[in-house]
Amino acid sequence: MSKTPGGMVRGLTLIVSVALLNLNSASRAADDPPAASRTRSGLLALYEFGASTGPVVKDTAGVDEPLNLLIENEQAVRRTDGSLEVRGKTLIRTAQPPARLIKAVQRSGEITIETWIRSRDTTQAGPARIVTLSQNPTERNFTLGQEGDRFEVRLRTTRTSRNGLPALDSGRGHAGTRPTHLVYTRDRTGRTFLHVDGRQIAHGSAEGETSNWASDCRLALANELSKDRPWLGTFYLVAIYDRALQPQEIAQHFAAGSSAATPPALAPGDDRFFLARIAPLLAEHCLECHDPGSRQGGLDLSRKVTALAGGDTGRAIIPGKPAESLLWQQVTSGEMPQDRPPLPDDVKQALREWIAAGAVWPLDVIDPSLYVLDGQKKQRWLQRLTVPEYIETVRSAVKVDVTQEARELLPKDLRADGFSNTAYNLNIDLDHVEAYAKLAETIVGRMDVKTFAARFSEDSRLSADRMRPLIEGMGKHLLRGPLTGEETASFLQISETVSATGGDAEQAVSYILEAMLQSPRFIYRMEDQSDGGIPRPVSEYELASRLSYILWGGPPDEELMRAADEGRLSGRLEAQARRMLRDPRAIARSRQFVHEWLNLDRLENLQPDSKHFPQWDPRLAADMRAETLDFFEEHAWRRKRPLAELFNAQFTVATPRLASHYGLEPQDDGPALYDLSEVPDRGGLLTHGSVLTIGGDHASMVTRGLFVLNHVLRGRVNAPPACVDTTPVPTEPGLSQRRIAEIRLADSSCAGCHRRFEPLAFSLERFDGIGAWHRRDQHGNDLRQNGEILFPGAEKAVTYETTAELANLLADSPRVSETITWKLAQFSLGRPLMAGDLPELNAIHETARTNGGTYAAVMTALLTSELVRMSRTESQP
Amino acid sequence: MTSRSLSRRTLLKGTGAVTIGLPLLEEMLRPSPVSAKDSRPEIPVRAFNVFFGLGIPAPLQTEGFDGVLEPLKPLSGKLLIMRNVDQVRCDRNGINAHYDGSAGAFTAEPPDGEAKSGGPSIDQVIRRSCYPQGLPSGMVPTLVAGTFFRRSRVSRYIHSFNADGTVAGTMQETPRDLFDRVFGTVNLPDSAANPEEARRRRIRRSVLDSVVTQYRFYSGRNSPLGAASRARVTEHLDRIREYEQRAFAMRHDNKSPQLPPRSAVLHGGQADPGGQGIDITLDDLTTEWRLLADLYALAIQTDRVRFGSITFLAAGERIRLTGMYEFGGRTIWEFNDARQLNASGDQGCSHEWWHRFREKNQNEQLRAHAHLKMRELAYFLSRLDGPESVEANGRTILENSLFTISTESGDGRHNDVRRELSSVFHAITSAGGRFKTGQIMDVGAEGLDLYNTMLEAMDVSTSLGPKKRDRRAIDSIRA
Repeated sequence: MSKTPGGMVRGLTLIVSVALLNLNSASRAADDPPAASRTRSGLLALYEFGASTGPVVKDTAGVDEPLNLLIENEQAVRRTDGSLEVRGKTLIRTAQPPARLIKAVQRSGEITIETWIRSRDTTQAGPARIVTLSQNPTERNFTLGQEGDRFEVRLRTTRTSRNGLPALDSGRGHAGTRPTHLVYTRDRTGRTFLHVDGRQIAHGSAEGETSNWASDCRLALANELSKDRPWLGTFYLVAIYDRALQPQEIAQHFAAGSSAATPPALAPGDDRFFLARIAPLLAEHCLECHDPGSRQGGLDLSRKVTALAGGDTGRAIIPGKPAESLLWQQVTSGEMPQDRPPLPDDVKQALREWIAAGAVWPLDVIDPSLYVLDGQKKQRWLQRLTVPEYIETVRSAVKVDVTQEARELLPKDLRADGFSNTAYNLNIDLDHVEAYAKLAETIVGRMDVKTFAARFSEDSRLSADRMRPLIEGMGKHLLRGPLTGEETASFLQISETVSATGGDAEQAVSYILEAMLQSPRFIYRMEDQSDGGIPRPVSEYELASRLSYILWGGPPDEELMRAADEGRLSGRLEAQARRMLRDPRAIARSRQFVHEWLNLDRLENLQPDSKHFPQWDPRLAADMRAETLDFFEEHAWRRKRPLAELFNAQFTVATPRLASHYGLEPQDDGPALYDLSEVPDRGGLLTHGSVLTIGGDHASMVTRGLFVLNHVLRGRVNAPPACVDTTPVPTEPGLSQRRIAEIRLADSSCAGCHRRFEPLAFSLERFDGIGAWHRRDQHGNDLRQNGEILFPGAEKAVTYETTAELANLLADSPRVSETITWKLAQFSLGRPLMAGDLPELNAIHETARTNGGTYAAVMTALLTSELVRMSRTESQP
Repeated sequence: MTSRSLSRRTLLKGTGAVTIGLPLLEEMLRPSPVSAKDSRPEIPVRAFNVFFGLGIPAPLQTEGFDGVLEPLKPLSGKLLIMRNVDQVRCDRNGINAHYDGSAGAFTAEPPDGEAKSGGPSIDQVIRRSCYPQGLPSGMVPTLVAGTFFRRSRVSRYIHSFNADGTVAGTMQETPRDLFDRVFGTVNLPDSAANPEEARRRRIRRSVLDSVVTQYRFYSGRNSPLGAASRARVTEHLDRIREYEQRAFAMRHDNKSPQLPPRSAVLHGGQADPGGQGIDITLDDLTTEWRLLADLYALAIQTDRVRFGSITFLAAGERIRLTGMYEFGGRTIWEFNDARQLNASGDQGCSHEWWHRFREKNQNEQLRAHAHLKMRELAYFLSRLDGPESVEANGRTILENSLFTISTESGDGRHNDVRRELSSVFHAITSAGGRFKTGQIMDVGAEGLDLYNTMLEAMDVSTSLGPKKRDRRAIDSIRA
């Protein structure tokens, strides 16, 4: 593992991923049927290693003349039901040349060699023969082997050598010691592909015919026929087909997995055990009273150092000795959690086992905000296009603007967990289906169908062989990736119906386009989730869509699709990110983010009480929203400043009406840039009307403070304790909002939580419910700006004297910049963040910080991260 | 005062645009058999969740029909009113207590996200169990509707949840929305009269077939999607089939009820300006709600709907209500929340009366609001208990179906979660004789045990809550 901070984090990511895989494989096996099955079409030989003893490996393909294999040295192998581990040199081969197999491939010109294996190490070479159909070290029909940390495949054709050279090389790093799904395909045209764990990792060509295959080769595993190229490791499955499996089939096979490859269970002394079991337990049940801010009984369980140090009554955790650990004693007796139901027995047991195993604690600090929604970790929803994404997708794909119609017809996407693109809440109802049908008709009606179709095929005749390439071209463009044969066939049926009813080609294309615009692959960001519980690199086309929707809120452009076609996208992510950030769509998408983060939709319905605010002009609400969005664009895109400086940037962009409302001298007829460096009380995001109005008519310090705590500092507080009257207290002469808050904070039953958030709003006391600035309230009470801020996880509060000082504290706070990164990550991923994301989030943030902390830096770090490059399994947090 | 009980017919006719004639209604209300197993039509299994916001403080629940429950008295023989239902399990640290309680109503589980419950609602469990292959074609699988003015979190007002905790239907917020969802048809040109239209219709059918094929793949056995995503695509496929049914199969005639008028009250984001509340008159509120309730009841009577939920005012509701409230010939209260609270914005909303609840005080304002809620719930329930709701077995739809009435709070001050969620008001109907009625019962049970007992009585083998949990059957509620 690298010793750099980033490297450390990346190393941890792997650990976490494996941990979660392990944890969830077991539960998945118990709860869920396999998500995918294997195809048998074209199957020539199949070895599933079902017998646990004996010298024969049976061919279970179920076709005539099974090609059973004989183990020459039984002592060199260990067999279980579902695997065969080759521990020493041996040869596992057919007794005779497999004539049936050889003839089939000679005929078809296609082949697939599929294996589920685990290599013993990455030093084996020769290449070490994993599967071979050969005569000797230099003559073969094919060989799939391992050369260090690479895989290599040799195939004889009329254009390659008798040794099967040139070989197809996987490139470095693909052969490893974990269970690996490895598939080689060669199609009739000579194209060769290598897939590892469902993802294509190399391609090449082996042109010519297979008609020259030697008939006297034997099929063998784990060695060359000459017995001088041994391979050591475990076989779970080997299959050979007389056709080239399609990528979707390969992914499906990967998803179907091999039950014998299930990794071992977690051990309580493992880092992973803490991350998966103990950290959530402490976050959920203990930190409410035992974090740095509360420290009840002098105990802080959020950090390793303080947790092991213990509290006022002694050591809470004594590694290796649960019976002597106060934490265990109090949990097992039911004393803790105090005033809460006792922990379930299995949770208690995990705690005891963890302490007994040495109380391994790999984290610096436990952040409880990550565990709030951990119940969702077993679920993974595909993302339906949100209304803005649908509009942009149509605009980009077919150059038709349906903004008005889509906003009118499609149900509004509702906000959940801070954003309205949260996938689990992007549900579907009849209204959607009707809208998609109607919109498809509208869109196609506005298209120049003939010109559009000409982009993909110049042949406009209405016959199946002419329509097929057109459908494939249009489909790949609209559905963001190549069509399967079945999809093409389903679209072809439409053209056949049009033809049968006397229609012409243009009509056929129109209706096919309507169908495509209603396809699940258009409406949803469809990804292959059949990962068998193992995180995998997403495919090139999936990656193209992820990049474009994250950065643009729309579909991949031609450059992204071209890169995906050529399999070079995953290797050039940073360059693509830089290119994409120059596109105006990136700016529009970032404005959507700000709109959602700050819930600016709220301003559409702002209705301040006219008695309190007779000067309120309803148009100010729109001005306030525009101010915040334009301010962000100026800050992030034109000035390219760090995002944390949104909180103390000394300028704004306001309409004359809003400038007057703020007490600024209007400078122009329209929105204009205002320098606020000489305006001490206003500057930064928190002084925007869009944010200040969150406090309602009464400029509630509680509401404003909670906003800062939750959305800027990523903090949490609990519900009010018992017997506290939460009725808001009205202001009066001698009793300002501040004074009311101070009285509240003097009450010990309130202060524990209120000190975490209410002082955050003290600096905003001079701004009323509609964001106007005053020195005194309506009763003549003096209004102040000083206060203190307790950053989540910190022990002591930091004081400030002015609004500007608080703004500077926020802008300089690592917690704030980190929160912005997290918010961007959540919006980009379309799901709440989970504990399992933590290592990668930290790595993203660190990379972004190193590169200036700008919007571009954060998004580039995010796009090149594993959160984007890797799939998230159904059961992975 | 007179109870402002509106005749549905009067109301529908009085609104101008709706003209459902009595003969037509009678024709529509004829119950449709769901099974041909014997000559006697079976009564379909139905389950609905009825939610009202802010709850009834436990001390007021003990007053029986002499207190705020008075409006339910005419239906008392058809209801089992249950006190002391413990929903404390639904508390989740650091999350708004209104939301906890609301998400736990009908699920008995804490929320799992702002728009997601911790488990399925009972109506959906029953639906999946009793109709594993889906409901008969033409039906709305789950109808979710409500009149409410607080929407910061979805679970405040939606009360039907799928097994994965996501919402089971889109909220139909206005009478027009509900009408379209239940009685709307997809207008395709008449093919009989025009050969060209027939041709287009055939092609459109082909387009839909292609779309269905693709959705079927992604929801099928070979789908590359995970379980949650597959369920979402399956839902989409079901909705396409419903669309298909309406577009190509349902008989188009002029007998459907006509479109109701536009709502007079605010909806959408305007109905909840940032939690600051809205001004609304008693008349506007009840007119809107009753039209919605009428249409919902009509949807049940016409057997277009067998499962779903209806909400009268959301959890943590924020309205500033004005108007004279009369019931049973007497004035109950003159609502004027903002003036009586001497506040504006959120602080002037009826919600504050619940904060101010003190057992020793009169709590007149809270009582009046709670009384009003019961009157409006009774209005909805009584729509399904009249002569036009009598089914083949001689009982009414209200008696034959499972209606579960619940809320968010049993305390009234909702600042102490343990107290707030420890005595949540519940009421159920007999569900075809499965449950006792005509009683007010102190069940003293956890919501999870109560709901599971109800599910068992409905012959549903699925249960709610953690698998590793000692269950307690609440046999006292079973007939």
